[in-house]
Amino acid sequence: MNSPFRIIGKSFPRLDARGKVSGKAIYGTDFAMQGMLHGKLVHSPIASGEIISVDTSRAMAMPGVYEVVTAKDIPAQRYGSFVKDMEVFASGRVNFIGQPVAAVVARTAEEAEAAAKAVKVEYREQAAVFTTEDAVKADAPLVHPDWQEYKAVPTVKRQGNITNQARLVLGDVDKALKESYRVFTHRFVTNVVHPGYTEPRAAIAHWADGSQLHVWSNTQLPFEAQATLAEIFKITPSQVRVNVTVIGGGFGGKLRLGVEHYAAAAALKAGRPVKFVSSCEEEMTSALPRQPLTIDLTTGVTKDGKILAKAASILVDTGATSGSGVGVASSVMLMLAGPYKIPNLRLESRSVYTNKTPTGSFRAPAGPQGNFAVESQMDIIADALGIDPLEFRLRNIVREGDLAPNGQKLESVSLEECLLKAADAIGWKDRRPEPGRGKGIACAWWTTTSGSSGVYVKVGPDGQVFLNTGCAEIGTAALTGAAQVLAEALGIELGSIQIVSGDTASTPFDFGAQGSRTAFAVGNACIDAVGKLHQRMKEIAAKQFSAKAEEIEIDGGAAKFGDKLLPLKEIAAIAQTSQGGLIAHGTFIAPPTLHDKERTENMVITAINSPSFHAHAVDLSVDAETGEVKIHDYVVVQDVGRAINPTYIEGQIEGGVVQGIGQALSEEIVYENGIVRNAGLTDYKMPTAMDAPNIRSFIVESPSKVGPYGAKGVGEPPVIHPPATIANAIASAVSARVQTLPITAEKIVRTLTEVSETAK
Amino acid sequence: MKLEFLAPQTLQDAVTMAKARGDAARFIAGGTDLVIQARKSGTWPEAVINLQQIPDLGEIKGSGQNFSLGSLVTHRQIEREGRFAGALEALRESACVIGGHQVRNVATVGGNLCNASPAADMVPILLCLNAEVALAGSEGRRVVPLASFIEGPRKTKRAHDEVMTEIAFSAPAQKFASAFLKGGRRRAMEISIVAMAGVVSVSRDGKLTDVRLAMGAAGPKAIRLTEVEKFLEGKALSKDVLEETGRLAAAAASPIDDVRASASFRRHLAGVYARRVVELSWNRISEVGNDRSAA
Repeated sequence: MNSPFRIIGKSFPRLDARGKVSGKAIYGTDFAMQGMLHGKLVHSPIASGEIISVDTSRAMAMPGVYEVVTAKDIPAQRYGSFVKDMEVFASGRVNFIGQPVAAVVARTAEEAEAAAKAVKVEYREQAAVFTTEDAVKADAPLVHPDWQEYKAVPTVKRQGNITNQARLVLGDVDKALKESYRVFTHRFVTNVVHPGYTEPRAAIAHWADGSQLHVWSNTQLPFEAQATLAEIFKITPSQVRVNVTVIGGGFGGKLRLGVEHYAAAAALKAGRPVKFVSSCEEEMTSALPRQPLTIDLTTGVTKDGKILAKAASILVDTGATSGSGVGVASSVMLMLAGPYKIPNLRLESRSVYTNKTPTGSFRAPAGPQGNFAVESQMDIIADALGIDPLEFRLRNIVREGDLAPNGQKLESVSLEECLLKAADAIGWKDRRPEPGRGKGIACAWWTTTSGSSGVYVKVGPDGQVFLNTGCAEIGTAALTGAAQVLAEALGIELGSIQIVSGDTASTPFDFGAQGSRTAFAVGNACIDAVGKLHQRMKEIAAKQFSAKAEEIEIDGGAAKFGDKLLPLKEIAAIAQTSQGGLIAHGTFIAPPTLHDKERTENMVITAINSPSFHAHAVDLSVDAETGEVKIHDYVVVQDVGRAINPTYIEGQIEGGVVQGIGQALSEEIVYENGIVRNAGLTDYKMPTAMDAPNIRSFIVESPSKVGPYGAKGVGEPPVIHPPATIANAIASAVSARVQTLPITAEKIVRTLTEVSETAK
Repeated sequence: MKLEFLAPQTLQDAVTMAKARGDAARFIAGGTDLVIQARKSGTWPEAVINLQQIPDLGEIKGSGQNFSLGSLVTHRQIEREGRFAGALEALRESACVIGGHQVRNVATVGGNLCNASPAADMVPILLCLNAEVALAGSEGRRVVPLASFIEGPRKTKRAHDEVMTEIAFSAPAQKFASAFLKGGRRRAMEISIVAMAGVVSVSRDGKLTDVRLAMGAAGPKAIRLTEVEKFLEGKALSKDVLEETGRLAAAAASPIDDVRASASFRRHLAGVYARRVVELSWNRISEVGNDRSAA
């Protein structure tokens, strides 16, 4: 097939490959400065209580120690995404084990660590609450007794430990359930999982003149870091400069401040640059893992397998601060309803504090949790009705022009194609090929996060083009994707582009590397810049050829007047000598997704922007005696709108699937009375290369109207389906339906034992 | 932090250095346990004595029935040892599930035994082979059966200035086969929740004989399952015999509940793996080429 594109759709090597494979790339943990000191945190050993006193005298006397920093050294200021309930260092009380209470600054990291142990903090321990079910009780201990004093966005409805109560309502659920042929109710519980980036969170901060804060860190969002640091230190954003280093993976875990604020507080007091790097234990006890959800899901169906109604009650455990859990409590409702046509909905969710690790925005926040519930139940219902699970889905999925649960009109809907292709690839007709072996399928939609993007595109006199973006490259190669969009639109080769990124002082604003938006939004800003560059090229060429600008055509990377050509680099050279160079500021903001506001109450996320559609299928065997799961084949069919760079799309798919398999089968941060029992990578079981199965990716291109060349968001979706897909295949293989994540061997064996005992 | 790094060229020097420094010094070979433990606890020894430059500790010697593993033999060497293909396959099977590739390239069999983790994967098969370990210290050289060398979790008979030099074992005289299985949540970098090794022989009339079964990770130390061994002696393999094997093995386990698995699941797996190891070894008898009794 002849592609109309030169650059789009081709698997070019990523632009940052050379530095990374040669070891020359400077990551956050590598970064160092002259005169730099090292900081280590002092953590709370109790889950809830008041701080009586902090005695730093012994630590200050330890070798190499410069300063001990506490809440007293910085402005009293709470911050946070939806509810301002976070503080840098605990001031009056602590709310979870691992909460930073102080930081020690010393000559070496080892000296800082030794002295951190010598900081003596006296606490008055108080009652704590560790589960959402307990936390919502009327007499539950309050995680934040002063919650009423906290500022919050107006959308949220708070009460005690509950940070938001949101609803999505359509039609008459009670009536529909009464009229249903059968009604199914199940509880699904998901796990706390760490984003698992290879490089821990790291930052160096330095104050110039005591008022200009300069931070180098491996943050995903330099502009959010800038804004939050300005808020914390009560300075203006322009007094903060954030530079993004090369990042060893983010997966959403580096969206919010990691250690930048500790470094900034320490550097302020020490008067020297200070570096912080999270230890592995800190990553497991006080980073920002995925929220665990408890989902009670009720679905009513007709005899022939049409879904009439869905009702759900959802508890989102956000840990000790609300963070993005408020958003998860909203977006999970969009996941629970869809991607099916359901005339009656009553979904209710609450985000709730507990005295555990604050949670964050791990890749596809709410995606895997919601999908696990809705897609597991789809199979349970299909089996009960005697309908093939694929067929049951096909009878209910959304199609072109249908309304989503929030009332938005769906376009470019490719779900049926995704499901059929996945089923075909996995060999669905032979769903149980032998005893102990089974196949599973699951499908979903996902949003492409909006937010504005700006780029400067600057052309040098040698034809080299600088793509200057405030967005960080977090390892996905999405900025290479944006550069491919730029190369295609500008009519140049990809190799002519150099990327400059992630500096709040010199790069234009970008909403950042999050929500599957980087290539989508930065790419669109590049297209806008190219339009402006073309106009400039025409004007310069017109002068050169003594013609009018509207008589000039752009042909490839050159301006053309009749048979005369003026190449881009010559135009840039002319611009450089005559008008300060050839540069354009391209911008993009996604158009709002229109939906029915009557259906949503207190939801902070209400729409699925430029939705993508996808289906996963797996073929696996289960050893019924040991519970061991062996995956033979894993298939992903994902609608990416337009595949800008197929290799890196496959990379996102394969990585996401392996991450999803971890969530499905092996990963879990285990708490006992608020203590993490597996605070290291020995017992927090991420899949190894030996556990990664054969993954086959099939790309569907159903172009979106908004994305560059039709692209949709790519990065998050692959992590959504594995828990449900695998749970369904296990149930198909050995009749063990496990409704809590992770589905460990032990749970499979226990479930099978229960099943066989019930049968006796 | 100050850490003295010593690199003796001879066994004698290593022992002398260790004796002079007492408990403040630790021997290091692959370092895959020592370094992780030090980092986790935050407590580093004042000195580490590197054993890697001492000659002759890194070889696998022997043929036929009698073998010795130098204490610095890596798991990679054992995993790839051609002499262990066939009847002694369980040695390779045990070695090849320890850590991941990078760990096996440097981690040593001596380290695995001296670290004395209840879940050490090399221990069960070496117990089946009645291995003996040689220790060289300031008081001279001595040989200790592996079964008594490991006393409990992280506890051995080794004095702090004693270097383990070799692990010796004899294979059964008659035709035999072996097998090793372990349970865990993933396929590499996994600490066993139950490990099971077995060596079985078959008499001329087709009955099990000289059955040896050892279990790891299901108690404070790896143990031989003598009750099961006695039960199996002289029996022909049958469904009932296997079921009883599993029942007895599960009963012999004294596992703990921890974040990796519950005690009851470990006990369940002990039964499953005991049964499977016996069955797998039995099935392998016909495949292995060590039939000396027929000669």
